[in-house]
Amino acid sequence: MTAGSVPAPLLTPRWLATAALLCCAALAAGEAWAQLQTGGTRPGVLATLWKWTPLVLFGPPREFGGFALNIAVSFLAMAIGTLAGLVLGLGLVSNFAPVRRLSWLVTQFFRNSPWLVLLFFVMLLTPFQLRVAGIVIPLPGWLKATVGLSLPIMANVAEIVRGAINSIPTGQWESAESLAFSRLQTLWRIILPQCVKRMIPPWMNWYAILTMATPLISIVGVNDAMTLTQDALAAEQRSELLMPMYTLLLFFFFVYCYPIARWTIHLERRYAVRN
Amino acid sequence: MKRLIATLLTCMVGAAISAGPALADQMADIKKKGVLVVGVKTDYPPWGTRDASGAIVGMEPEMAADVAKRLGVKLELVPVVSSNRMQFLQQGQIDLMIATMSDTPERRKVVGIVDPVYYASGVAILANKKAGIKNAADLKGKPVCALQGAFYNNDLQSKYTGRDLVAFKGVTEAQQALLDGRCVGFVYDDVVLVWQKAQESKWGDFDVVMLNEWAPVPWGLAVKIEELNGPWGKFMADVTADWLKSGTLLALEKKWVGSNTPWLVDASAKAKK
Repeated sequence: MTAGSVPAPLLTPRWLATAALLCCAALAAGEAWAQLQTGGTRPGVLATLWKWTPLVLFGPPREFGGFALNIAVSFLAMAIGTLAGLVLGLGLVSNFAPVRRLSWLVTQFFRNSPWLVLLFFVMLLTPFQLRVAGIVIPLPGWLKATVGLSLPIMANVAEIVRGAINSIPTGQWESAESLAFSRLQTLWRIILPQCVKRMIPPWMNWYAILTMATPLISIVGVNDAMTLTQDALAAEQRSELLMPMYTLLLFFFFVYCYPIARWTIHLERRYAVRN
Repeated sequence: MKRLIATLLTCMVGAAISAGPALADQMADIKKKGVLVVGVKTDYPPWGTRDASGAIVGMEPEMAADVAKRLGVKLELVPVVSSNRMQFLQQGQIDLMIATMSDTPERRKVVGIVDPVYYASGVAILANKKAGIKNAADLKGKPVCALQGAFYNNDLQSKYTGRDLVAFKGVTEAQQALLDGRCVGFVYDDVVLVWQKAQESKWGDFDVVMLNEWAPVPWGLAVKIEELNGPWGKFMADVTADWLKSGTLLALEKKWVGSNTPWLVDASAKAKK
């Protein structure tokens, strides 16, 4: 690739128009089919989708839930996972063998465990409230689920950190040493700042993967968009709503994740040229 | 890293200790808190479901509201699913569970299922009126729709129909097959069939016929197992008995399910004596 290549546009207008058209066609077909099936006595598919959209997006009143909760969980799990992953990643390149081995073990364990199993572990192992010195700290389900999702993120961020540190030419370490920098100073002041750029695209990639994995928390009883979609489907008891309802949910996630994916590709290209 | 793990472990052990049985009298605790926390379903209409505003409504939430009213406390409903409802009760996250739970000996070892039970679902067939079905014996040689994996399928096939069932994964598919005339009737839980028939006009040519060949499966509401014989468990036993005697449950069933099921009519009549 040359430095002059044009970065891909974030959203291709033609592509989006086609997608929107296909969605509308599918909905219209579903609507016509439903009307045929019921003889036009029930509210249409679109009206029903519209009725449930606020609940699926924002959750029940005075409660934190719905798609907003999915996004909040993804932010928080990413933050926890990134901080813990940074520590674990530095552990992976430690000069002290026991730390390196332990970090390796933790990383491998959490990288290679199914996310849902980890979620169940955290949900079942931790109580719903902690009593520390007489103060009761509630641990709501969504918080436990967030911790559960941050564990695989931690392990994968650790690998990203390790990979980025190893990708910096050894010459940098050697020159730093000749300038009397300590190992810690070299790491913080010379190596890690150069790593950030390389880590951002894979890190964003993991964020998108995490966001798309958040509906898993519905299985452990958290009021996320998936749970509420299923509640809505149960309340409606209409088979013709299955596809439109799940398509709506898919659409929310797509609208949120697709720009992130495009932006990641964009950054990858930009940094690839400079490095 | 090691220290972090050690701290986490200490926290977990400490939490496990503090989460153990500590409450002497849950009923006094509920009154002191001023809130009754009840676990209900949100995906099982008409017993527990959400409306479009997000509020949890249904027959069981109304029962929960009545308990709160009797105690003079506020009600808080917590959504539960089948996989976590017993754990929520054990942990003390909810005071009471009314969540369409079948009463089984295994479950009685884990949670305190209150006697008398408040509800039961039997087996029934939603049958085309023209087929003239009165009981399971009338199904001989006829095509019958059912759900895959139902506990009565084996019996139904070997003892009664004598031919393969038209089995489906989901209720909606089975109902569609019935409407399309692929079978004479759909065998399922009586309470759900009664509710669906009451809801939709398309079942005008169909009747819900009880299949008394299978005993009804009771549904139990539950408290923490340690509380079953304490004041809280006894209070709930009295409340349930009163619901049956006073006809509260019959009225609630009529309101939410659409009409009364034979088990509840029978249980209410017995309670009156």
